[in-house]
Amino acid sequence: MADLGNILLFFLFPVSVFTALAALAAGITKRRGLLEAARRGAYAAFGVTTLAVLALEYLLVTSDFSIEYVASNTNYALPMFYKIVALWAGHNGSLLLWTWIVTIFIAIVAYQNRRKNNDLMPYVLLMMAVTMVFFSVLSIFISNPFDTLYQDMGNQLQEFAVPDGRGLNPLLQHPAMVIHPPVLFIGYVGSVVPFAFAIAALITGKLGAGWIHTTRRWALTTWGFLAAGIVLGGKWAYVELGWGGYWAWDPVENASLLPWLTATAYLHSVMIQERKGMLKVWNMTLVIATYLLSIFGTFLTRSGIVSSVHAFSNSGLGPAFSVFLILSTLFSIALLLYRRKDLKPDEELQSLVSRESGFLFNNLLFLLATIAVLWGTLFPVISEIFTGDQITVGPPWFNNIMIPIGLALLLLTGVGPLLAWRHTSVETLKRSFGWPILGSFILVLVLIGFGIRDGWSLGSFAISFFVMWTIVVEFVKGARIRGRNSGENFLKAVYMLSRKNTRRYGGYIIHAAMVVMFIGFTGNAFNSETRAEVDEGDFFELGPYKFTATSIQHAQNENYSSEYLELEMTRNGKFVAQLKPEKRYYFASEQPSTEVDIYSTLREDIYAVLSGMSNDGERVIVQVYRNPFVRMVWIGTFLLVFGTLFAMLPNLRETKSASPSNGGIV
Amino acid sequence: MKNKMKFVIGSVVIVLAVIVLAVQGLQEDATMSYSKSVSEVQLLGNRAKSLSLKVNGQLKKGSIIRNNLDLDFIITEGESELQIHYIGKDPIPDTFNNEMDAEVVVSGRLADNGVFNAERIQAKCASKYEADYSSAAN
Repeated sequence: MADLGNILLFFLFPVSVFTALAALAAGITKRRGLLEAARRGAYAAFGVTTLAVLALEYLLVTSDFSIEYVASNTNYALPMFYKIVALWAGHNGSLLLWTWIVTIFIAIVAYQNRRKNNDLMPYVLLMMAVTMVFFSVLSIFISNPFDTLYQDMGNQLQEFAVPDGRGLNPLLQHPAMVIHPPVLFIGYVGSVVPFAFAIAALITGKLGAGWIHTTRRWALTTWGFLAAGIVLGGKWAYVELGWGGYWAWDPVENASLLPWLTATAYLHSVMIQERKGMLKVWNMTLVIATYLLSIFGTFLTRSGIVSSVHAFSNSGLGPAFSVFLILSTLFSIALLLYRRKDLKPDEELQSLVSRESGFLFNNLLFLLATIAVLWGTLFPVISEIFTGDQITVGPPWFNNIMIPIGLALLLLTGVGPLLAWRHTSVETLKRSFGWPILGSFILVLVLIGFGIRDGWSLGSFAISFFVMWTIVVEFVKGARIRGRNSGENFLKAVYMLSRKNTRRYGGYIIHAAMVVMFIGFTGNAFNSETRAEVDEGDFFELGPYKFTATSIQHAQNENYSSEYLELEMTRNGKFVAQLKPEKRYYFASEQPSTEVDIYSTLREDIYAVLSGMSNDGERVIVQVYRNPFVRMVWIGTFLLVFGTLFAMLPNLRETKSASPSNGGIV
Repeated sequence: MKNKMKFVIGSVVIVLAVIVLAVQGLQEDATMSYSKSVSEVQLLGNRAKSLSLKVNGQLKKGSIIRNNLDLDFIITEGESELQIHYIGKDPIPDTFNNEMDAEVVVSGRLADNGVFNAERIQAKCASKYEADYSSAAN
């Protein structure tokens, strides 16, 4: 099966090259037959890669420990579910997953556009096929998951199998970790589709709205997956790493944030292009940057150029990625320069207080955020080049920049949508923002009354309140007007209103989601913690809570043994919850693993970690964190995904007979 | 043109503000740490005491001593050794224990007595995954 898998995977290389060449030839000669050939090549690439993935799954599920990847990432006692998902637990397998998603997307794009965009498609397929060639080379020649184990027998190498595998890294044995990589990869890889269309538009000179309309749903889907993937990564870190937080500005986290920032900027600025014909070069730049940053993110995770706890160990992919990134960047810039005359704006900016300028400031802030995160992430590399010292900038540096930018963006979220295109009068501003501003002001006074003094937190709560108010007013006002005209009741009117312009109201839902998440982020300012060494019967306190260690227990199953502490949490003598922080020891991987226990409410998380045993083994060291509002981050993410899906729904037409499927483009 | 100017001025103000934040952030030296290996720290001599450092080395097997909430251990690189005293608050990583070959990165400062006060410990257990088998394969 390993040989079969290897052969299948190896086929991907000629198939990808063929697809690329056929697409290129189709573009030059404009012959339909060649385009059809490229399309078939895309389907074939998807076919062979799917079979290769199935072959690897077969090896994983049947525990074939002559395969290095299987032996490194699974063992007999591992639950079946984790054997299956071990496909993306290690470096080589996850690269295959990446490659597979590329082939899935090229096949979908080829199929979706089989009867349209014939002028763009050759180059779209070409760009996607080139990406595919690159990843197939990595998967086949550098990081092949079908590599067998060899033993050095004096003068020759001999294949061998180990009796049992090393097992899956305990840190990865968590549901969030199971879905995090595929979700994030779909987000990363998805950026190739808008990129391919943008480049095709540049090459063919068909710079109209065509490529934008075709890729709108792709861009939005990609964006949603990226967002969900990033948060899932944070959720995993929170639950699994046991340091009480979900974001640490680690290089790998930053790598996933970067394309999301540029993608978010694009989703906004593209509206100006659709409406006003402005920012054409800029939109192209954002789409290209998103793609390059996605590749860069994958590169950062795997090249070992920046050290990170999450990163795979240095895998030898660095040079290949560097070359690919540099070539893609130069190629894109050259194309943009070549077409710069055709990308002139149709209109000029008319007023500082207008929707256009709101979007421009939004984009400026996103751009600065991207540069800041990129700069901070690469600072060790940059500083080593210029000073010889590798200097790392820590979370305080990132927070110092990103909190103000984040809050400014959040404020724009509330202000922007209420500004009119072209120009907004002072009168309208007063009418729209008077009450929300007054409300926020009162909220700040109340919070100060409650003893909150931290300026950033007060600002964040005030802005959140303001933005939420404006969003609610948008729904209420719209529904009232609609209700008055149609006689629908309020809820029905809200529903009809939103369904008639899903993009706008989906956007509002996403904005509301960001507000909810920001409340969660702000909670970080109020975190508190305590640490204690306890024996059965001991107690300690944190805030209003009293924690009593009721018992220290030992348990064992075939996968791991565990020590856990039963911790009773009370408030004013009343029982609140029983926490069970645990320390496991996995037999196969010979790895200990800390399992935190979290008592989570809307108001706060109580997060308990068993951080160790005392030297005599009689007592345990327990650490308890009190993190306000963390749940808001997860709730906000659900809302964000919902809003994204909603924005993708086709608009409802008022007349029942009209087909709803062609109302998608606003 | 007048409106364009207003926008340009607004943008310049924002850009400058962010640059100020970035530079100001670099001034606070708690946010910047120098990555060094154990032997490099020793080469730095007295200068090492004035810097916030990230030191990487190999955990010396059996060197971990726990005493109540205190934690002391030694990291090595070849012949060089560095005594670490953990003063951080977060729980130490799972890969960090006396039985294991772990590559450790400690963040903190070198005290006058030559002991390194670590606020953060990161442990990598690279040998256990991937690297081990691939070295056999190569």
